[in-house]
Amino acid sequence: MKANIFGAGLLIASIAGGANAASTIGLAEDAPVDPATGISLPAGFKATVFADEIGQARHIFAAENGWVYVALRRPVDGNGAVALNDSDGDGVADNREYFAAGMQGTGVAVHDGHLYYSTDVAVMRWPLPAAGAPEGDATIIAEGFVPETQHASKNIDFDESGNLYVNVGAPSNACMREMRKKGSPGMRPCPLLEKYAGIWRFDAAKPNQDQMADGHRYSTGIRNGLAMAWNPHADALYMAQHGRDQFASFFPEMFTNEQSAELPSEEFHRLSDGYDAGWPYSYYDHEQGKRMVMPEYGGDGKTESNEGETPLVGFPGHWAPNDMLFLNGDAMPEAYQKGAFIAFHGSWNRAPLPQQGYRVVYVPLDADGNVSGDWVTFANGFAGPDPVMSPRNAKHRPMGLAEGPDGAIYISSLMSGGRVWKVTYEGN
Amino acid sequence: MKVTNLVAAAALAAAAAGPSLSQDNPGKAGYEAHCAVCHQYDGGGVPFMQPELFARPRANGPKGGVIDMIMLGSKAPGAGQGEYSNEMPGFDFLSNEEIAAIATYVRTNFENNGGPVTADDVKSRR
Repeated sequence: MKANIFGAGLLIASIAGGANAASTIGLAEDAPVDPATGISLPAGFKATVFADEIGQARHIFAAENGWVYVALRRPVDGNGAVALNDSDGDGVADNREYFAAGMQGTGVAVHDGHLYYSTDVAVMRWPLPAAGAPEGDATIIAEGFVPETQHASKNIDFDESGNLYVNVGAPSNACMREMRKKGSPGMRPCPLLEKYAGIWRFDAAKPNQDQMADGHRYSTGIRNGLAMAWNPHADALYMAQHGRDQFASFFPEMFTNEQSAELPSEEFHRLSDGYDAGWPYSYYDHEQGKRMVMPEYGGDGKTESNEGETPLVGFPGHWAPNDMLFLNGDAMPEAYQKGAFIAFHGSWNRAPLPQQGYRVVYVPLDADGNVSGDWVTFANGFAGPDPVMSPRNAKHRPMGLAEGPDGAIYISSLMSGGRVWKVTYEGN
Repeated sequence: MKVTNLVAAAALAAAAAGPSLSQDNPGKAGYEAHCAVCHQYDGGGVPFMQPELFARPRANGPKGGVIDMIMLGSKAPGAGQGEYSNEMPGFDFLSNEEIAAIATYVRTNFENNGGPVTADDVKSRR
């Protein structure tokens, strides 16, 4: 609940500060929800429901050709992606073209004139069409990823030197010898680190690269870095990872339900070549501000670990960071131009306490990529008006983020048939 | 909305009440200790990740279905065929009595009417 305090504090500061109000960012916890869109935004921002009932939307990309491309978790009429276009500029898409026949996936992005798309086992691309859906067969760029079900999404992004980055999540909770079994110890060395639990780097243009033969393990110790984006201002890859589940159910003698709801942190890291974020040997505790030994590896909730890098920010446990966005343009207020937007899908592992985190937050960063202020909530209300005691009751859950060529921010949700919002800044 | 709030309040009250439940209803206590973290206290599961338990054929069919599911998890016959991404571990380390109590709780709650399961039923599936 630190977010509440920060959010309220900033708002109060803005009122008291008068002339400084323009530099205030974020959204109060009790900000009213716009009934037309179902979400709340800071003053000056406006949303439209850009597209509704499109299918289980995963990541999205708003291309320079004016089309918004959406990857789908499950096919719609046999297609694993959809292209959307708003031809009359009213903020609502009036054209839909489904594509990626026979596939389903999470990653989608445009880079160097190509539309990239990822299934759980491959990354591929088409030449970016002038409009609508791509045609013909895609060219496979990266492949050889082991088919899995847990943490299997292969989200992607690019640097400005021709490299493709692919997240390869760990099909595991804490690298226990027996999967999610109470009392089963962690394996050391964790064999999953060889092929999973990291970010792999590839040549963005070279066809048919194999993960292990051709890919480079850029960063490791990342349980599932589903929120990953290149920061164009600081020229570095940033990532927010899903922390492990089930402290209280596996270690009730060490963690209360309250502690297990808040811990471990969802970690926000600035990556580099060779970076190790610590999973499965350690986790971050944002309340103590320390990395701790994972209980499967001898930890007790109190013992510090020297394994893994300290994150820039530790968010409350189980919020599930599912996408990250840095803005390239200047359509949004200056205070939002250099930091990280993170879409939190919302928790399922905080029961019996209410589930939390169904929101988009903003982490202020300076031009060098250093955290320059407390994180704030940017968009909220997705789950609905009541406390979420069971995740199935969340109406919407933020999933993907994108910036349009006009500077608008797009937010996707895969719930309730799938929806995309378009957020613009209208000023005061 | 009121219903949800009441459910929320009830769930919080149940959480606060904690271990006292185990004396009254070992099936509920076992479910909450081992199952609810994924399938949720209300049996609602987690969309796309863990199945809901409402009105499930397995919980209304032959006794062996739920027993196998608890003992073997995703390795149980016919399991893991759905659209859910997480794997379920086996709980074969629990006693026959504990598994029977949980199986009975699942088969007689969450809109299921499969009926009770005994420790001997569990033993016969080992």
